[in-house]
Amino acid sequence: MAGIGFEIRKILNKQSLLSVLEAYGYAALIGSGPWVLSVIGVMIIGILSFGLVLPQSLIIQFLVSVTYLMASSLILTGVLQLMFTRFIADRLFENKQHIIFSNLMGALWLTIAVSGIFGTLVLWLLFDESLIYEMLMLANFVVLCGLWIVVIFLSSMKAYRAIVALFLIGYLIAVVAALSLTAFGLPGLLAGVLLGHGFLFFSFLYLIVREYPGEHFVSFDFTQRRQVFLSLALTGLFFNAAVWIDKFIFWFTPETSQAVIGPLRASLIYDLPIFLAYLSIIPGMAVFLVRMEADFAEHYDNFYRSVREGDTLEHIWYLKDRMIYTARQGIYEIFKVQGVTVMIVLLLGKDILELIGISTLYLRLLYIDVVGVSMQVLLLAILNVMFYLDYRRLALGVCALFFFANALLTVLSIELGAAFFGYGFAVSVTLTVLVGLYLLSRKLDRLEYETFMLQGR
Amino acid sequence: MDPLKHQTQHNSVSQKKHKPIADVALLLEGTYPYIRGGVSSWVHQILNGLPDLTFALIFLGGAREHYGDMQYELPDNVKHLEVHYMMETSLEGNPRARPGNAEKFADMRELHRAFKRNDIIKPEVMQSVFNSLGAADGITKEDFLFSEQAWKTITEDYQQYCTEPSFIDYFWSVRIMHAPLFMLSDIARKAPPVRMLHTISTGYAGLLGVMMSQQRDIPLLISEHGIYTKERKIDLAQANWIHDPVDAMGSNLQADSGYIRQMWIRFFEALGRMAYQQATQIISLYDGNRQRQITDGAPEQKCQVVPNGIDPERFTKLREQRPEALPKVLGLIGRVVPIKDIKTFIRAMRVVCDRMPDAEGWIIGPEDEDPTYVQECKSLVESFGLENNVKFLGFQNIADVLPKLGLMVLTSISEAQPLVILEAYAAGIPCVATDVGSCRELIEGLTEEDKALGAGGTVVSIADPEATAQAALELLGDEDKWLAAQHAGLKRVSQFYTLERMFSTYRDLYLDSLEKSSWPELDLK
Repeated sequence: MAGIGFEIRKILNKQSLLSVLEAYGYAALIGSGPWVLSVIGVMIIGILSFGLVLPQSLIIQFLVSVTYLMASSLILTGVLQLMFTRFIADRLFENKQHIIFSNLMGALWLTIAVSGIFGTLVLWLLFDESLIYEMLMLANFVVLCGLWIVVIFLSSMKAYRAIVALFLIGYLIAVVAALSLTAFGLPGLLAGVLLGHGFLFFSFLYLIVREYPGEHFVSFDFTQRRQVFLSLALTGLFFNAAVWIDKFIFWFTPETSQAVIGPLRASLIYDLPIFLAYLSIIPGMAVFLVRMEADFAEHYDNFYRSVREGDTLEHIWYLKDRMIYTARQGIYEIFKVQGVTVMIVLLLGKDILELIGISTLYLRLLYIDVVGVSMQVLLLAILNVMFYLDYRRLALGVCALFFFANALLTVLSIELGAAFFGYGFAVSVTLTVLVGLYLLSRKLDRLEYETFMLQGR
Repeated sequence: MDPLKHQTQHNSVSQKKHKPIADVALLLEGTYPYIRGGVSSWVHQILNGLPDLTFALIFLGGAREHYGDMQYELPDNVKHLEVHYMMETSLEGNPRARPGNAEKFADMRELHRAFKRNDIIKPEVMQSVFNSLGAADGITKEDFLFSEQAWKTITEDYQQYCTEPSFIDYFWSVRIMHAPLFMLSDIARKAPPVRMLHTISTGYAGLLGVMMSQQRDIPLLISEHGIYTKERKIDLAQANWIHDPVDAMGSNLQADSGYIRQMWIRFFEALGRMAYQQATQIISLYDGNRQRQITDGAPEQKCQVVPNGIDPERFTKLREQRPEALPKVLGLIGRVVPIKDIKTFIRAMRVVCDRMPDAEGWIIGPEDEDPTYVQECKSLVESFGLENNVKFLGFQNIADVLPKLGLMVLTSISEAQPLVILEAYAAGIPCVATDVGSCRELIEGLTEEDKALGAGGTVVSIADPEATAQAALELLGDEDKWLAAQHAGLKRVSQFYTLERMFSTYRDLYLDSLEKSSWPELDLK
């Protein structure tokens, strides 16, 4: 959705060093996804509550509980994320802003109902913890699911300063609330996170309602057969599941994991490096957002406008080449920025681990994870181009490949022993990127043929 | 061995297993039996006039809603009627990538190059294209709509030839233009077995004739009443669904129309040329049209004039009803529309009445088509003060009117072969007519033998009231001259323009073609 593209373009047009920093900073915030921010927020809570909450295992229980909340809410809403994004983008293209609000409400009610029922069942069947813990887990789960739906809109909105401010306030609330509730132990920390996310959810919702006022309160147009792209639902599900499948496999392989709370298990050896690694994608995500949402979107518009509005074939070809060039540039720049990030981690990784007091035994796993997550940013960029060009089946295939390759290679890496931990994820995402790039470039060669000859496909 | 030949043989062999259901398939585009008019009456006459031959009718319409009930009762020798609507061709389907048959597309492009060069199309190219059109191993509609070969063809031709900037306009024009051809190829394949084909126009019906003739190796006859290509050119020149690009450098000095419009015109020209090339005989109503067909690419040796005819016997009684004295009445039989140039008739009447105050001018024909024009004509009569001399009689039974006329006048600016002249002759009335269509042939004669009969009236130039009046006054004022013209007209119509003569010519043409047909005779006979 182009809203953010325009804003970033505007900031960049000021042509000062500060404006470049501002644009990329903002892009990093929106682009790296609230869930990276959540990881940071939760980690800060974990680190700051060190010593305040006793015994220390409670902090581990807190971190693991939140990790499961994130994973399950992302996978569950993955079904709706891409499908609903596409629905909103199509309606915005048709200038039907007035039906957006009611459909957002529809999507939220649906999400709340499904996540509420799903969460209740899981907690009831698999957990045997205190009622307050289970209630807080359920509430956190439902709020997170709602939040993932709401953040879909962030990239379409112009109020970026407000968004930045809200993020800061939201996580400040989470940290402050969690720390002041440490007396209540684990429930206190969970309540703090709930307050922060709850604040974000409602304030973003407020921003959206302000931007897209509606006539009806609830509607479910996005579930109508004509509007539903089943492939997008599956793609979203596969992508999110693929991102988490290696973690789940490590959590539920007895040799690599230990029980933490209730049925929740964690893999201390695997989890910490990969979450640290995810922090390294922030620069890549910023570049991704600027290149894809601003540059690529612009050239994509130019190309299709020239097709629709009767340009010469030569010019259509020229604009297609420009569009492909921007896509290639975008991918190349992400590659460069993440390359540099990987270099820094390789050089300073040991110092960083020592600085935050983590055993350097994790170092080798951190290195391979940093490579893996950098590839994941490239995969996002490739998928984004596919979504723009409406190559839905291709995107689905790529995400399915990611999922199955990650599952298979992760199991294999565990079989092969500790020296290979992390390679399952890194190799599978690299493989997926290479296959995706190959398929995409083959498809782009036929773009104008397919655009003209295979309309209405 | 040539694979194409093999395929054709295979085709005709498989079809010969079926007995033909009729001798002649008539290919009718937008006429009989759903629309009334000159061409349709002619078709009805042919069907009734040749009862010993059997016919199958294949009707091609535009949009279904433009046609109502059948306007004629089909005679018993019509064994089959099928109806197709070209506008129902769909551009949809199952858009899936497909390569397309490179070899067949190459033949198809060879055909297009021949069109562009105005060359004779090589028979083997035409055979290949029309046998592969719509065939699974050739070029199907899906191949045309979705294949990579089609895309290659469209983009290369656009780059090479198109002078208009908008690729998407070009792209859709090509699609819309060619999609009906696949419907035609389907009709051609599914049509019942017949021994020969007769198309009553070029255009889509002509192309259907080309396809069936190619696929089944049977003779094709073309009869044209008007000239299809010329009529389409006029339509296309005025069509506002094609928008020409506006020249950014100011007005277009050459005033030539855009590439897309030209492309449509060339499309119909190509349809005409293919039909002319494939036909065994090409028939026109009069010599002017024959010349035009030759200019449009018809080989001269195939062209022949077969005029329409009437039954002069029907008019014998009317001649007997004529009064002793020559009525000073000038009649114009025709619709009150600009193409008939009624105003020139009225202006001529003013000159006539100046010299012959008791003369009358009767305008006989329906007035509902162009009310504005009718009003203008009536005002013109008033402004000349001719209300007592010029009368608008509306639609009349001509048997009631003809005996009361002294002279038939035709001021049209365009005609083909006007039957009113023949009817006037048969009813014993000389004619003054403008020099359009076949009027000169009808009045002065075509062949030496015909000319020797003398003139059945006078030919004048179009839009010349003075000359028209002069010719009328000379005939009405000189009884001997009038009688000579009456005599010549009568002789001419009964010698050259009888229905009997038309039927026998067509019977000969049909029998000649049927003899050449590779199809066995009908058992029915």
